Amino acid sequence: MFPGMSQHGRYWLLILPAVALMLVFYIYPLLQVLWISVTEPEPGLGNYRELFTSAFLHKIWWTTARICVITTVLTVLFGYVVAFAMAHVRQRHMTAIMFCVLLTFWLSVLVRAFAWVMLLRTEGVINEALLWIGLTDQPLRLSRNEFGVVVGMVHFMLPLAILPIYANLRGIDASYVSAARGMGASAWKAFWWVYLPLSKPGVIAATILVFVFSLGFFITPAILGGGRVVMISEFIRVAFEETLLWGKATMLSASLLFCVLLILAIVGRVVDLRRVFGST
Amino acid sequence: MSIKKTLYEKDLYDDEELFQRDCAEIAKERYLSGQIDRRTFAKALAFLGAVPAFATLGGRSAKAAEELVVVNWGGPAVKAYEEAFGKPFEEATGVKVVIDGTGPLGSKIRAMVEAKNVTWDVADTGAGTTLVLGDAGVIEEIDYSIVDKSKVLEQFAFQHGVANYMFSFVLAYNKKRLEKVPTSWADFWNLKDFPGARTMRKQPNGMMEACMQAAGRSKDEVYPIDIDLAVSKYKEIADEVIIWGSGSQSQQLFREGEVVMGNIWHTRANLLRRDMKGDVAWTWNQGCIAPGMWNVPIGNPAGKDTAMKFIASAQDPKQQITLFEAMGNGPANPAAASLVPEDMRAYDPGQPENLALQVPFNGLWYREDYGNGKTNDQVSREKWLEVQAG
Repeated sequence: MFPGMSQHGRYWLLILPAVALMLVFYIYPLLQVLWISVTEPEPGLGNYRELFTSAFLHKIWWTTARICVITTVLTVLFGYVVAFAMAHVRQRHMTAIMFCVLLTFWLSVLVRAFAWVMLLRTEGVINEALLWIGLTDQPLRLSRNEFGVVVGMVHFMLPLAILPIYANLRGIDASYVSAARGMGASAWKAFWWVYLPLSKPGVIAATILVFVFSLGFFITPAILGGGRVVMISEFIRVAFEETLLWGKATMLSASLLFCVLLILAIVGRVVDLRRVFGST
Repeated sequence: MSIKKTLYEKDLYDDEELFQRDCAEIAKERYLSGQIDRRTFAKALAFLGAVPAFATLGGRSAKAAEELVVVNWGGPAVKAYEEAFGKPFEEATGVKVVIDGTGPLGSKIRAMVEAKNVTWDVADTGAGTTLVLGDAGVIEEIDYSIVDKSKVLEQFAFQHGVANYMFSFVLAYNKKRLEKVPTSWADFWNLKDFPGARTMRKQPNGMMEACMQAAGRSKDEVYPIDIDLAVSKYKEIADEVIIWGSGSQSQQLFREGEVVMGNIWHTRANLLRRDMKGDVAWTWNQGCIAPGMWNVPIGNPAGKDTAMKFIASAQDPKQQITLFEAMGNGPANPAAASLVPEDMRAYDPGQPENLALQVPFNGLWYREDYGNGKTNDQVSREKWLEVQAG
C-alpha cells in the first residue's frame, strides 16, 4: 500500500487517526486544565497550597479515600467469590452467571442508583421487611448516607472486578491444586497457598480498576448520598459550575489525576503491571 | 480563557433556569394525569414560552419587524402560544409572535450579542442572569415608558429586566406526620416539637433567607445575609436534613414519606397538596419570593420597541392568571391578584396578604463583593456545600 514504508510504519499509520483524535480532544484539554490550575486566579501554585491549608478539602479527600477503600475491598472480595464460582461451575451455569453480571453492567448507572434509593429508603422494601419481621422497631437509615453510597458503588463496580478476576482464574491450571491436594494439603491450604497466589494478577488488576474508577465517582454518591456525602468529584462540579472558581476546580482535577498516577507507580514497583493487564 | 466564556453564566444561574424548566415539567405531569385540559396546558406552556421552535429555524427573517421571537425553556410540543398571548399581541400590533424553546442561556445571549447575530427578541431568564447580562452590557434597559412599572412589584422592576411571574420558597409540611402545625422557620428548626426529617435545597439561595429568620432576624433584616450565621444555623439541624436538587425530587421526598417538612418551591408544594389530598400544606410566612425575568438582547431583530411592547402586553393580568391556574406561577402584576378566583388565592404568592408575609429575593446582594475577590454568591455556595458535607 505504501511502498518504501516499513512494516512498523504502516501499523502506526493505522492508529494515526486515533492518536490525532486523542491529542486534540484529550491531551490538549487536559493540558489546558493543568494550565488553568496554575494560572487562575493568579499565576503560581496558590491553588495547590489549598490542598494543605483547607480543612474542608482535607475532609472531602478523607471522605473520598475512605469510601474508595471500603468500596474496593468489598467489591474485590465479592467479585472474587462470584468469579471463583464462575470458573468452577458447568459451562451452562457459567453462561447464566455471566449474563447476569453483564446485564447489571449494561444498565444505566442512574437507573441503578434510583433502584437502590427505592430499596433503601425509610419506607422502602428493606425497611418494611425488617419492621414486619420485627428485627427493628423503627426504620433504619440505609440511604442518604455513606452506607447507601457504598452499597450503590459496590453494586456498580462488581462487574469491573468480576471480569478481570474471572479471566485470570480461567487461566489457572487445575492440576496445581490437584497436586497440592495429592501431597496432603487440605482444601483450604491448597486454596490459600496455591490457588490464591496464582490469582494475584487478577486481584490486583481488579483492585486498581475499581479503586481508580471509584475516585472519580459522581452520580451514585450524589443520589444515594442525599447531598450529604460530598466526594472530591462533587466539589469539582460545584467549583466549575456554581462558584466558577476554575483554578480550584482544575487543581483538584489535576490532583485526582496525580493520585491515580501515583497509585499506578507504587503498584508498578510491587508488581509487573504489564502482566496484570495482560500485555505479555 | 476561551472555554470559560462559553460556560460562564449558564451554570451560575442554573437554579433559575431549573425553576422554569420545572414549571414546564409540572404542566406536563398535570396534563398527563388529567388534572388540566389540553387547552390550559397549551396556554400555560405558551406563556412560559415552552413551545419548540417551529418557525424560527430558517434563520433571521428579512422582515424582522413583522415577527417577534420569544425564547424560553423548551418542553412538550404545544401550539397554542398564540392563543395565550401571541394572538392578542398580533391583533394589537400585526407582529407575529414565534416561540423558540431552545433555552435562553445567559451565555448564549451574550455570545449572540457579541457576535452581532441576534435571533431572539425577548428572553425569559431570572434575577441573577439579568444582573450579570446587564453588567456585561448585552441586554437593553427596560423602557419603562412602554412597560408599565406599576404593573410589577417595585423590587422586581430591574434596570435591565422586569418580572414576568413570581415564585416562592416556602415552608411546606405534612400535616399527617406532625402533631402541630409549623408556622415559622423557628418551628422548622425545632426538632423536639416537630420531629422528623426535613428537606432543604442543594443551593443556598432561598435557604439562607430561612436560616437568617430562624436565627431571629426579622423579615427586613434578612439582608445583608450573614453567611457564617446562616451556615451555623443549618448545622444545628443538619442531621435531620435531606437535600433536594430538582423540583421533582423535593416533591418525591414528601410523597415517599421521607420528610415531614421542607423549604421548597410553592409550585411543588401546591402539587403535593393536590396529590396527597390535602396532607401537605404550606405557610407563606417567612417565605422568599423571587421573580422570573424578561430580557431583551441588544440588537434584537424585531427592534427594541417591539420587544418592549410585547413585554407590556404580557403584563395583562388575564394571561398571567392562565399560567397561574395551570401551574401555580404567581402573576407578576399586582393587579392580577384581585382577579384570581377566590378559592385559589391561598395558593398565589402575589396576593397582598401572602406577599406581606414574605421576603423578596435580593439578587443585588448576591452580586455584591464578599471581600476576598469572590462574590456573596460564590462564597455562599462554597460554604453551603461545606456544611452539607457535614
